[in-house]
Amino acid sequence: MKKLNIIHKTLFVFVISYFGLGCNKITNINVSPNNPPLTSATPQILLPSAVASTASRVGGELAILGGIWSQYWAQSNTSNQYKNMDSYNLIRTDLNGNYTELFAGALEDYSLVNTQAKAAGQWQYYLMSTVMEAYTYEVLVDLYDQVPYSQALQNNANIQPKFDDGYTIYKALIAQIDAALAQNYNLAVTGGDIIFGGSTTEMADWVQFANTLELKMYLRMINAHPTDAQTGVQKLFTSPNFLSKDAGIASTYFTNAASKDNPLYDYNTRTLNTATNLRASYTFTSFLTGSNDPRTTVYFGTATPVFMHQGDYTATQIQAPSYNTATLPVEKPTDPVIFLSAAESYFLQAEALQRYYAGAGAQTAYESGITASFVAEGLTSAQATTYYSQALTNVSWASSTDKLQAILTQKWVSLAFGCHELEAFFSQECTGYPLTSAVYSRKSDFTVNPAYVPGQWVYSPNGVTGGLFPKRLVFPDVERQRNNNTPAEVPLTTKVWWGK
Amino acid sequence: MKKLLLVSLCLLVLCITQVFAQNRTVTGTVTAKDDGLPIPGVTVKIKGTNLGAPTDVNGKYSIVVATGQTLVFSFVSYLTQEIPVGSGNVINVVLSSNNKQLSEVVVTALGQSREKNTIGYAQTTVKSGEINQASQISMFGSLEGKIPGVTISNTGGSAGGSTKVIIRGYSSISGSNQPLYVVDGVPFDNSRPGSGSTVGALDNYDFGNGGNDIDPNNIESISILKGSAATALYGSRGSNGVIIVTTNHGKAGKLVVDFTTSTKITDAGSLYTPQSTFGQGWDASHIISENGNWGPKYDGQIRVWGPLVNNTQLLKPYSFIKNDVQDAFDKGFEETNNIALSGGNENSTFYLNYGNVYDNGILPGTGDAYKRNTVGLKGSTKFGNFSADASMNYISKVANVTATGQGDNTQGSFYENILQIPMDIPIKDLRDYKNLYFNVDNYFTPWAENPYYSLFENGSHYNSNRLYGNVNLSYKATSWLTFQIQQGADITAVGDKIWSNYNNPTPGSWNAGANVEGGVRNPDVGKVIEESHSVFEYDSKVNALITKKFSNSFDINGLIGVNYNDRGFRNLSTEIKNLAIPGFYQIANSLNDPQSTEGESHRRLFGAYASATLGYNSYLFLTLTGRNDWSSTLPPGANSYFYPAASLAYNLTDALSVKSDVLSYVKLRGSIGRTGSDTAPYEIYNTLTATNINLTYGNLLFPLTGGIAGYTVSNSLNNNKLKPEIQDEYEVGGEFRFFNDMLGLDFTYYNRVKSNQILPVPISPSSGYTSELLNFGKVRNRGIELGVTIDPVKTKDFRWDINYSFTRNRNVVLSLPAGLTQVVLNSAYGAEFVAQVGKPLGEFVAPVPVYDPAGHIVVGSTGFPVSSTQNGDYGSSQHDYQMGLTNTFSYKGFSLEFDLDFRKGGKFYSGTADLLNFVGADPATLYNDRRPWVVPNSVQAVTNATTGAVTYVENTTQITEANVDDYYYHTSNEAQNYQRTILDATFLKLRQATLTYSLPKSLAAKLGAQKLAVSVYGTNLYTWLPKSNHDADPETSNQGIDLASDFGEFRTSPPLRYYGASLKVTF
Repeated sequence: MKKLNIIHKTLFVFVISYFGLGCNKITNINVSPNNPPLTSATPQILLPSAVASTASRVGGELAILGGIWSQYWAQSNTSNQYKNMDSYNLIRTDLNGNYTELFAGALEDYSLVNTQAKAAGQWQYYLMSTVMEAYTYEVLVDLYDQVPYSQALQNNANIQPKFDDGYTIYKALIAQIDAALAQNYNLAVTGGDIIFGGSTTEMADWVQFANTLELKMYLRMINAHPTDAQTGVQKLFTSPNFLSKDAGIASTYFTNAASKDNPLYDYNTRTLNTATNLRASYTFTSFLTGSNDPRTTVYFGTATPVFMHQGDYTATQIQAPSYNTATLPVEKPTDPVIFLSAAESYFLQAEALQRYYAGAGAQTAYESGITASFVAEGLTSAQATTYYSQALTNVSWASSTDKLQAILTQKWVSLAFGCHELEAFFSQECTGYPLTSAVYSRKSDFTVNPAYVPGQWVYSPNGVTGGLFPKRLVFPDVERQRNNNTPAEVPLTTKVWWGK
Repeated sequence: MKKLLLVSLCLLVLCITQVFAQNRTVTGTVTAKDDGLPIPGVTVKIKGTNLGAPTDVNGKYSIVVATGQTLVFSFVSYLTQEIPVGSGNVINVVLSSNNKQLSEVVVTALGQSREKNTIGYAQTTVKSGEINQASQISMFGSLEGKIPGVTISNTGGSAGGSTKVIIRGYSSISGSNQPLYVVDGVPFDNSRPGSGSTVGALDNYDFGNGGNDIDPNNIESISILKGSAATALYGSRGSNGVIIVTTNHGKAGKLVVDFTTSTKITDAGSLYTPQSTFGQGWDASHIISENGNWGPKYDGQIRVWGPLVNNTQLLKPYSFIKNDVQDAFDKGFEETNNIALSGGNENSTFYLNYGNVYDNGILPGTGDAYKRNTVGLKGSTKFGNFSADASMNYISKVANVTATGQGDNTQGSFYENILQIPMDIPIKDLRDYKNLYFNVDNYFTPWAENPYYSLFENGSHYNSNRLYGNVNLSYKATSWLTFQIQQGADITAVGDKIWSNYNNPTPGSWNAGANVEGGVRNPDVGKVIEESHSVFEYDSKVNALITKKFSNSFDINGLIGVNYNDRGFRNLSTEIKNLAIPGFYQIANSLNDPQSTEGESHRRLFGAYASATLGYNSYLFLTLTGRNDWSSTLPPGANSYFYPAASLAYNLTDALSVKSDVLSYVKLRGSIGRTGSDTAPYEIYNTLTATNINLTYGNLLFPLTGGIAGYTVSNSLNNNKLKPEIQDEYEVGGEFRFFNDMLGLDFTYYNRVKSNQILPVPISPSSGYTSELLNFGKVRNRGIELGVTIDPVKTKDFRWDINYSFTRNRNVVLSLPAGLTQVVLNSAYGAEFVAQVGKPLGEFVAPVPVYDPAGHIVVGSTGFPVSSTQNGDYGSSQHDYQMGLTNTFSYKGFSLEFDLDFRKGGKFYSGTADLLNFVGADPATLYNDRRPWVVPNSVQAVTNATTGAVTYVENTTQITEANVDDYYYHTSNEAQNYQRTILDATFLKLRQATLTYSLPKSLAAKLGAQKLAVSVYGTNLYTWLPKSNHDADPETSNQGIDLASDFGEFRTSPPLRYYGASLKVTF
């Protein structure tokens, strides 16, 4: 019996010591060695990541959507990748990646930068982040009409944020930019700026970007809120200070290597098993070649691109043998991603001057826009002058009776470069320029339709929307499935709040 | 010491002899009933005394007894026999094994042996013979369909590919549904490399799961614990069932050598059936650079094919080639050998084994191959009340695997390329992939690559070294109390390499755009991935075992103990893309910088537990179990959780003494139990992640050129209030045997609900995150399991055994977090595999057509159906039921067995079907002989311009001949594509047929052996699929081995079929 007691005691001690050992050992090994804690975030480490997120989506898949819907490029008839875009057959499950990345990748990071920068008085980062946040939100509003804003980005405090209407969001974004501009942002930047970093006028560039973005947003309101648009534009023009350089991620940040290159190139040219999905669209080439535009070679690598008619991907080899060799758009791994180009800045100014200042100075801005576009694409300003001196409608200022049409047509031509093709689609939806064509660009025998006016947008022969052009994207499935506050579905063909 | 004992025993015997003159010496031989062989080590005791003797190596004994005394013959796993000593001097005894008898001993939680009679829950034991019937290299290879409540599927079609084992259905929406594997008391890692890998591409390389590492030849038995009451002692890890593997151990007696060798031929088990009417082309035209079968009808005319090279072009008849796909493969060869030495004396035993497997796969070349070497040593010794045993095992595995699934810009996949060869092109000729006509420049189509290029130029190599083993010490303190300490370890180190070659069609060549379509194939830039992966697990236990009989009526059998477990893994992966020198696979050989990622995981668990079985009169048994766990992965202060279980076994036949010739045995049982599970490590605190932006196709990875670093707020919102998942389960059942055990039934009904599931709930991206970890979600599984055994004929020479199993599991999602209509578990091309409330876990949803109020399909202006904005329901992956049937006929030394496995109902997604429809190879694409047609029963919507009212008019727009192909693809006919890609998962398989001949003992002896048996067999011999499935075997998957794999397959390899012969000898 005594022996047994000893054994009992031994067991008891053993179990207790084991237990104590266990308890100590099981705590504090649960901090991830794989990912740094949230508290280690700084504006310098978050901001480049957020800007790259915006660029990857606006300059990636959305640039493809923009390029097809703005009729620069048509889907090849020998492959399949973008048929749903070229037939306007996009449903709620399509293109969700952009929405997801822009919110959870870009905006969440901007939001944290804003919080941190504000708390630390780092107003230089606050301005950068606010401008890019506004730019990103603006793209989302323009695509979806309404998105969550006032309740967005509250993390687990609200996982089903309500949607705000686009106009409210626009006004709030402009107010936020104004508030950031009112701070003392002229502080030394210590890295993290991949848009104007290294520029001797870095913060001044940011101010110009902020102003030009506001100009773009005010001009979007011309249909829905003309008074706001005019007041806003005129406020900016009291001391005009707009971009005269491109705002974006420069070529130097990209390399010719997978995952390190321009997002449009990585997506469309490098990663897909065939790089021949996108082909020159007759809508675009007809205008380029009809106006002897030297940019044709920049866009398509040849002065005489072989084209496809927009949306004509069901044509067979027998019907349209030339489609086999239709020209591909030129894409390079080190192309920049531009958020707002100098050319676009000038065309926005030209439009504003034409609308609200009776055209005073509009011609200069218009021609500066064309020149900026030429220069950005490696051509000379002399070539630009030669180009816009041709007595052609929508090319030379003098020959264009409808000045707005000329400005917006030339803006369209300029936006085929720099991965911001989506902007051309928005611009057309807002202003109606380029015009849409009443006829298709080819006849049933596959020859060019003589009644077609070069540069006018045509309805895709494979369109599923009964002759109506697409105007937006339907609310994404990632929101519909997870957020009861998602509004009822609105068809793709319904204009967004600022639409014409 | 031993000698001294013997001497004293002799002296004692001598003394007794002098006192009782009538005492005499009785001798005899003890043999086994089943094989007639002598049994060494049988204890022969004189009843009511301490006197006894063991049998020697020849089964002979000799003992001094008196007439009237009784001899008791007992041996492990044999029925004890008592024989009164009569007048004779020779008593020969035949012992029968106690299988299926009341006293059958089974292995239960924590390796405790219990009489089956006493357990109150369902448990299945599988013996070595069944496991090794057809010399499979995986321990589950011969068990598909045989175990009620357990679904076993061979997902891999490569040599050594994975086996999926799921017990009582899927319970966990996003966590693991894998059972816990325990080998000789120690947890055994069953991960499938790839699933936890940092390199997503590994999912397409199936190197097999960890559970398949064990050489089945060394397994003595497998015990499968299904319900929560059975597994509660395993705590956090037992909730999905436990598979307890007991390996062979040495037995007292002379040295025994077991040798097994087998040789097999392998080929593709079931392949898709292409249409044989239309040949190469697209849009109804014959186009020689096309990868599809959308050309004109076969006419048998000699036509040119492929490019014009050096002014010559190949010729072949334009006709369907039979067995074109089958001929793309080779016959494979598999060889397995195992040798085991065992022996020992009453105090010490040893078991030493060595086994190897070699399989070269069914693909030409060395792109798929599997080699495994296993060595193990096990020993045990006793000294007084103290005993010790230990085992140490080493497994070396080397595998080459060809990628399945979808290719990328670094390579094409063999299986995807095969599917894109029109059926008039002789696939096997393309093996000569460097030939002028079949090379990178001149392969007939720019839209795909020569599959043999993918096979011979790209590949993978996997090498793992695994050590596992355990040390057990036990001390018997008193007759009723024993202490045990066990320490186990399982450590695996893996190195793998994946590579693909650089190629680019030469400018001006056919595939650089000179083909008739102007198609340009992108270069394969090539890549090298070099990975190392290590997994470790240490497990310690201290137990006190109690066995005590209180009175004639009551006894108790219990344990109390603690367990400490420490496990984790570490990965390092480095990748380069863009090879600088083609054909040289080294991390330095790139135009770009290598990219590396690392990851590690470490968790600890401490548990304390107790269990007691209280027996009453040997017919009523109550078992109570409780365990408390402390987990490192849960929030500090809230990381402790308890789960109890109770079970009752009632032996009706004994209790009521109603045993008769009709009713042999009835046991009723019922149990209720709770198990829990913790979360994965590092899910409590929020983090940043290194920025790697998904572009949908491609990605943008930081640092950016120019030294720009970036981190982003992780998209997964962690949760510092996580609670453990809880599973509650009850089951009732019974075992019934009739007609002197001729008919046996084992029936179970179970109901399990897993709640508080830890789910990365997808949340609206506008919250800033895409998922949040929440305790939510409830899934119920309930079902019935039935096992039937019948021996309709049982004569001296002939015997017929039937084993039937039936499983029906009904799975339903009871709740999801508020606001969440579904959780997406897996998806491909718009087909989603989801959890929805009220539906089985794993429902297919995908686009469907729009219908008008009268039920007609609404088509657009092009005549193609319009797809609805809402996804439609295509059914679940859950089978209606599954059944297995095994028939065994034995005649003298011959035995013939065949196994059928039938699974009824359920759906699966087939990426093979998707591509076969796209290229017009699926017989479904023959509709209307491919002439123009109007979508049956279709209407067009007309909107009134003024009122906006929509009316529907009959559709007359035809799908033209040139557009028929578009009708069968998801981008051009999204609305109707999924009825052709989400297929019926029903199948019936002849899993196995085996013919074995065991030589009579006398004949074997002439050859110097104790036992000798030869077998011929085939596995996966025939597969019946429903008519609607021309495309893929529903069992295959390249989506892992858990719930996501029930989604289906994405262009994976066909299953393998084996034919072979084996020889088993015991010396």
